[in-house]
Amino acid sequence: MIFAGLPLAELAAIFGAVGLGVAVLYVLKLRRRVVAVPFAPLWERILRDKEATSLFSKLKRLLSLFMQLALLALLVLALGDPRAAESLVRGRTIVVLMDASASMQATDVTPSRLSVAKDEVRKMIRGLGGADRMLVAQMDAMVTPLGPMTGDTSALERELGEVAPTDARADFPRALRFATDVLRDADRPEVIVVSDGALGPASDAAGAVHLGDAKLSYVRVGKEGQNVGITEFSVRRYPLDKGRYEVMFELTNTGARVEDVELQLLGDGALVDITKLRLQPGERLPRFYPQLSGASRTLEAKIARVDGTHDDLAADDHAFALLPERRRARVLVVTAGNAYLEAALLLDEYLDVTQVPPAGYAAAVVAHPWDAVVFDGVTPAEMPKANALYLDPRGPGSPVKVKEALKSPGFDRLDRRHPALRFTALDDVNIAAGHRLEPGEGDKVLGASNDGAAPILVAGSRGGYKFVAVGFDVRDSDLPLRPAWPLFVLDCIDWFDDEDARYLSSFRTGEVWRIPVPASVAAATVAWPDGSTRAVAVHEGRAVMLGEHSGFYRVSYRSPEPGGPEGGTTFAANLLDPAESAIASQDRLFVDGKDAGETSPFHLGVRREIWMYLLLAAALLTALEWATYHRRVTV
Amino acid sequence: MSLFDVLPWRREKKAVAAVEDDLFDDEFQRKLEYLALVSRRVFAGRLRAERRTKKSGSGIEFADHREYQPGDDFRSLDWNVYQRFNRLLVRLYEEEEDLAIYLILDTSASMAQGGEGGPATTKLAYAKRVAAALAYVGLANLDRVSIVTTSDRVMERMQETRGKARIFKAFRFLRGLSAEGTTDLGDAMKTFVAQNKRRGLAVLISDLYDPRGVERGVNVLRYAKFDTFIVHVVDPADGRPNLQGDVLVYDCETGDEREVTVTAKVLSRFADAYRGYLGDVERFCATHQVPYVAASVDVPFDELILRVFRRGGFLR
Repeated sequence: MIFAGLPLAELAAIFGAVGLGVAVLYVLKLRRRVVAVPFAPLWERILRDKEATSLFSKLKRLLSLFMQLALLALLVLALGDPRAAESLVRGRTIVVLMDASASMQATDVTPSRLSVAKDEVRKMIRGLGGADRMLVAQMDAMVTPLGPMTGDTSALERELGEVAPTDARADFPRALRFATDVLRDADRPEVIVVSDGALGPASDAAGAVHLGDAKLSYVRVGKEGQNVGITEFSVRRYPLDKGRYEVMFELTNTGARVEDVELQLLGDGALVDITKLRLQPGERLPRFYPQLSGASRTLEAKIARVDGTHDDLAADDHAFALLPERRRARVLVVTAGNAYLEAALLLDEYLDVTQVPPAGYAAAVVAHPWDAVVFDGVTPAEMPKANALYLDPRGPGSPVKVKEALKSPGFDRLDRRHPALRFTALDDVNIAAGHRLEPGEGDKVLGASNDGAAPILVAGSRGGYKFVAVGFDVRDSDLPLRPAWPLFVLDCIDWFDDEDARYLSSFRTGEVWRIPVPASVAAATVAWPDGSTRAVAVHEGRAVMLGEHSGFYRVSYRSPEPGGPEGGTTFAANLLDPAESAIASQDRLFVDGKDAGETSPFHLGVRREIWMYLLLAAALLTALEWATYHRRVTV
Repeated sequence: MSLFDVLPWRREKKAVAAVEDDLFDDEFQRKLEYLALVSRRVFAGRLRAERRTKKSGSGIEFADHREYQPGDDFRSLDWNVYQRFNRLLVRLYEEEEDLAIYLILDTSASMAQGGEGGPATTKLAYAKRVAAALAYVGLANLDRVSIVTTSDRVMERMQETRGKARIFKAFRFLRGLSAEGTTDLGDAMKTFVAQNKRRGLAVLISDLYDPRGVERGVNVLRYAKFDTFIVHVVDPADGRPNLQGDVLVYDCETGDEREVTVTAKVLSRFADAYRGYLGDVERFCATHQVPYVAASVDVPFDELILRVFRRGGFLR
């Protein structure tokens, strides 16, 4: 037995001082109230019987004093925090990784896997030894310690209550690395994974995770489950008919039996399409819905069993997507006349095109804020404060330096992934003549001739405004005669307008999202699907956040400068993860080539803090003293 | 009101004096008149104001004969008897005399105990009123009334007096009494008997808290041929003391101490003991044919006096 609180000498001093006080008070208590009576022999008559018990009475008074001293002793001992000597040296250091991924929302066990997992961890907490310390961390797309390493069971239970499920997959390797970092050089380290086992391999880009000396334990939660989930959901508008759109689905049956499901498609909250599908066990069923219309902003997909029952995981039964927002763009075309350009711009009904000759540019450019300016064979002295498409730029005002002439250049190299070139095929465009462009720092070469040595199509930004420069006159090529020409022009305008970013129909949960906002915005707030709002950081024109819940989000921003841009944009997020939809619980967990074992024993309800029991005994003794006093047993 | 009256001890003294004045106020004196009247009406014809002793003397009522002895008054010879029986016998007549009434007032310390309603409600105050009332009735009946105070001895004495007008002397005497000392009725009555050769009615007004027993004192009176009458002054609060918890009780007369933890059970047992004590006293008096009246301080004194009259023994 050792004293973890006050040392024995101090305890003895406290007991001596307070005990003396108790004794003095007790003696004072024994002084009785003096009362005169007219005839004492009457009292003697009734006290005669008590004479025989006077010795016992004195003993009872002593007993009362002893009870009070015992009470004091218990309280003083509790101050000393006595513990079993062996409990200090045998304490464990435990990191509990609570799986809060989407699959933990499965209801194959009642009420849910996460609730059962919490119950399991709660038992562990209540069975902690006096010297054991524990840290509870939530494991989802990231790992979040819910408190410090502590032996305070009430704090641990409070932290456990904060664990909430997410719609994301768990980043198991990251969680393991966190645990090993925490347990480095700790006594009797142990990692306890409380999960359904759908965690994937314990390795990441940095390689396999090594646990070192830490013992790995696995508490399995859940069993086999029946689930059909939406594992892919995407929507896009047609580039040349943006009033219509097409949708792609993939449904996956991760269960072991045939499932008949009903798929509903909702546009702006209204039912657009409904389909019944049958999925075989383990089947992944893609579906493509072309030429859809009737929705302007949001799309949702829902699946439900035909027989009205629910599968074991609801998180993947609902998917969300957002159609690119349509707004009218002001386009200024500075040209002496180019029928091909005019025709291309006529294809998009959402463009307000204003055409001016080169002489009228100066007046026109200041008349309105322009979303895009197209310079056809004309190059102003300085770049406009707008995004610009330069066709055959010339002179010092060009955003890129125009170098030597090229004869019959071609697109030998193309950056096909750039948004300005989406859906285009430029490989075999024939060009009579052009000029080599010299990109500036940070510019991207989208197309280059002479095996990449002579850039003829360059994109970049100057002063916060984007530009695309084409190093030849399109009329000196067969490009205007190709379908790629209007696509290229409209792609450029869409890129200027950032419509490309909005083209992303939804984000995946568990990933870092970068939502485009105006470049001058420094901070933004995000309204989450549950209605709560949080501030998010803005970096290089993108609001950056880690999203873990599916649904529709809205980013709101306001420029700190007066008159700056303010507004907001909406985006969608989905789970769309076949691995999470496969909810069958795993029997075993392998990490670093080793099979995770069972946890060390926890004894439910047994606490090693003796001071608690001492206080309990003191309370009982007080109650006993109170009862005996009022029943006149000890007085 | 003088300047010194603001001092606390002065105020207290004045308050006590006021209480003493109130003790025999006009209302009290009117009640005395009423009691004297009632005593005459109730006992008229049966009980006269004048008493006759069994002593033969110079009265007019014939009592007996006795043999003539030289020196006897010839006028007393019954010549009719001499003529019939040829014997010289002297006629004896009952001698008329006034009765001596001794009001023996217990002024031991216990008589001042209690009095939950103030000094005027103590047993002593009540006893004073009873003594005053009985004295007035006695004086009105032309008896010789004497008041004696006792504790463990005879303390003070108001000399024998007679006539209604002397009642104020009795008031003055009673006002000056205070309670102190211990009770020892045996010794006190011995002293009383030794000091009063003339026999008469001895009315003992006391709470009878005598540690050595009431019997000794009463028996001394009885053996000395006094007609004894007991007025037992009882304060009901004595039987139900307002105590709770751990207390040290001490006798206000003897100073004897006892540690007691007072509970409801103890109080119940004490009440039983108190009733038993009263019962013992009453039983003793009944056994020895001593008139006894329990005078509770709760009962108005005039009602008590009537009870005394009805009980008999005081007036005859």
